[in-house]
Amino acid sequence: MYVVIAILLFSFYGFYLGKKKSANLVSNKVSELHSTPIYHGYYIFLWCFVPSLIVLISWQVLDNYLIKSLVLNLVPGFETLDKGNINFVFEKIKTMATQETIDPFFYDEQLIPASKKYNWLTKISNITLFTVILSFLAIVLVYVKNKIQAEFTARVYVEKFIKTILFMCSVVAIFTTLGIVLSLLLESLRFFQSVSIFDFLFGTHWSPQIAIREDQVGSSGAFGSVPVLAGTLLITLIAMTVSVPVGLFSAIYLSDYAPRKVRTIMKPLLEILAGIPTVVYGFFAALTIGPFLRKFGESMGLDIVSESALAAGLVMGIMIIPFISSLSDDVINAVPQELKDGSYALGATKSETMVRVILPAALPGIIGSILLAVSRAIGETMIVVMAAGMSARLTANPFEAVTTVTVQIVTLLVGDQEFDNPKTLAAFALGLQLFLLTLFLNLFALKIVQKYREKYE
Amino acid sequence: MTDTGIVNISSFNKLKKSKNIKIKAIIKNLSVFYSDKCAVDNVSMNINAREVTAMIGPSGCGKSTFIRCLNRMNDVIENCTVKGSILIDGYDIYHPKIDEVKLRSQIGMVFQKPNPFPKSIYDNVAYGPRLHGIATKKNDLDNIVEESLTKAGLFKEVKDRLNDTAIGLSGGQQQRLCIARTISISPSIILMDEPCSALDPIATAVIEELIENLKKSYTILIVTHNMQQAARVSEKTAFFHLGKLIEFGDTKTIFTNPREKQTLGYITGRYG
Repeated sequence: MYVVIAILLFSFYGFYLGKKKSANLVSNKVSELHSTPIYHGYYIFLWCFVPSLIVLISWQVLDNYLIKSLVLNLVPGFETLDKGNINFVFEKIKTMATQETIDPFFYDEQLIPASKKYNWLTKISNITLFTVILSFLAIVLVYVKNKIQAEFTARVYVEKFIKTILFMCSVVAIFTTLGIVLSLLLESLRFFQSVSIFDFLFGTHWSPQIAIREDQVGSSGAFGSVPVLAGTLLITLIAMTVSVPVGLFSAIYLSDYAPRKVRTIMKPLLEILAGIPTVVYGFFAALTIGPFLRKFGESMGLDIVSESALAAGLVMGIMIIPFISSLSDDVINAVPQELKDGSYALGATKSETMVRVILPAALPGIIGSILLAVSRAIGETMIVVMAAGMSARLTANPFEAVTTVTVQIVTLLVGDQEFDNPKTLAAFALGLQLFLLTLFLNLFALKIVQKYREKYE
Repeated sequence: MTDTGIVNISSFNKLKKSKNIKIKAIIKNLSVFYSDKCAVDNVSMNINAREVTAMIGPSGCGKSTFIRCLNRMNDVIENCTVKGSILIDGYDIYHPKIDEVKLRSQIGMVFQKPNPFPKSIYDNVAYGPRLHGIATKKNDLDNIVEESLTKAGLFKEVKDRLNDTAIGLSGGQQQRLCIARTISISPSIILMDEPCSALDPIATAVIEELIENLKKSYTILIVTHNMQQAARVSEKTAFFHLGKLIEFGDTKTIFTNPREKQTLGYITGRYG
């Protein structure tokens, strides 16, 4: 804690110093400096703040690890402990070391030397850290201060630093994605060692049971993903049938037909739809739409079950309307007014202009918004868990219950599971399948857009 | 125009006869308001057929708003109200029975910034004829496209790449394409809103030459910031200031011997 305050104090002092010194160098005639005083300030601030922060964080990580191994060596019978017990013993030592009063649950005579050692080591570590950082800060202040001259290019260094920070942030996102994909891939490979990839991709029977005893009935689980995937696609299709026309038409209305007043009220209202938690949509689908559809079906002589693909798909469609309408509205608005004027001036009506000029020009953005909505629909879990049922049936009938990839992943992983049998590993294979599906969908749409795009700039 | 909304046709004919000139449009007490702001203030003038009428004046003087009234492009803008009357060929274009969409197919407009559609050169010119069903056969359409591009002086340059995107053309070519697009549906009036302001002097010269040719068959109204351009291409010049029409008359008179002091100040660059 003191260390952080010291770092901050030094850094702000460095900032002040850099600013002051550079201004004094030229007796406040700032135009004679290469960089304005504030950049000299930033320069010293960054030199103080960033390296000491790095040292501080890596110290915390390393010293915890080091102290733990040193302390545990003093514990009698350490070699015989398993992993869970080691952590428990270490917690005991920590509590004994830090608490004044004796907590009977965390007290053990045998651990007294270890806890004393822990106390001592932490103290040493803290003092060392403090000295290291303070001396570093002092050196930096003296050394960097001397660097400040009228012609010193502090601004260039600061800009370089900003660029590096921005770059690193984007790299973090990429590496996280890579990591996730890699873990999906590796676990899926483990799954495919026990279940053949062919059975998984083309099998039409999904019943992920694994026998506990060898002689159990139905001991061999079936991992054919086709019915599950078909369920996902069916529900996505229903959702898109609802959301694409409604979303796109409302975007067209909002951007070009609605008076400004209506637009300023309606657009935020539509976006509220996107803010409703999916679980709320879920019970809306399960408790309102599902039974309503069943009764409606009865009156029409149709057999619709309560938990139907239709109910889940309809509600999901409503949920993704704002994705399409809001984004499409933005891209339609981005089409230059000159293009619309050009069309109007040739005697085109609003709808003719929309269909022939604006929509082709806005196509990439519209496709993008639809894609985003499709990805949302494919990955959506809560609504389908609550409203679409669990039965992995291969059907194209929207009135029946189906199950989706996401629902299956949830059911496979709910509860205490060991990650060493095909049942749980199947979740990773399904995840990978879902990921590849959306990836190819994206690539496909990109190609379409490139082909039909009417580029206006 | 359409056969509905006949207003004042007899008085128009009388005027036409009495003055013994080819009047195309009569603008009477025209005022335009954006919300409460008056952009054009009580302007009256006559536009002659097959002549070029230039509108000059400082920025924000209402000249662009004025010409946008002639094809009712101001209808597109919210909170814009137009008062007074405009007669074109004797028809009151603000009469409730006049359809502004139909009107715009008769009165073409070329804009300040070249605004070709992001389609092929061919599709740009064919846009209007297709829209209004002027040409249904491929052959007829081809002829219209070729003819319009030729009239706009662009055909030779683009005849081998009619299917390329129009966005790849240079600024001057784009503007001539827009002119070709405008004349493809044979309007009787062409409105030009600073058509050369985004072009270099060479492209400007080409457009001016084109205007010279076009006025044989079209009535042209041109807004320009370039006084030499107004002097070169127009028969009549109107000087606007703060929404008012200060002076209107033969271009020669306006530029050599203006009646008003303000006009003299503006054309000699001693404005203000």
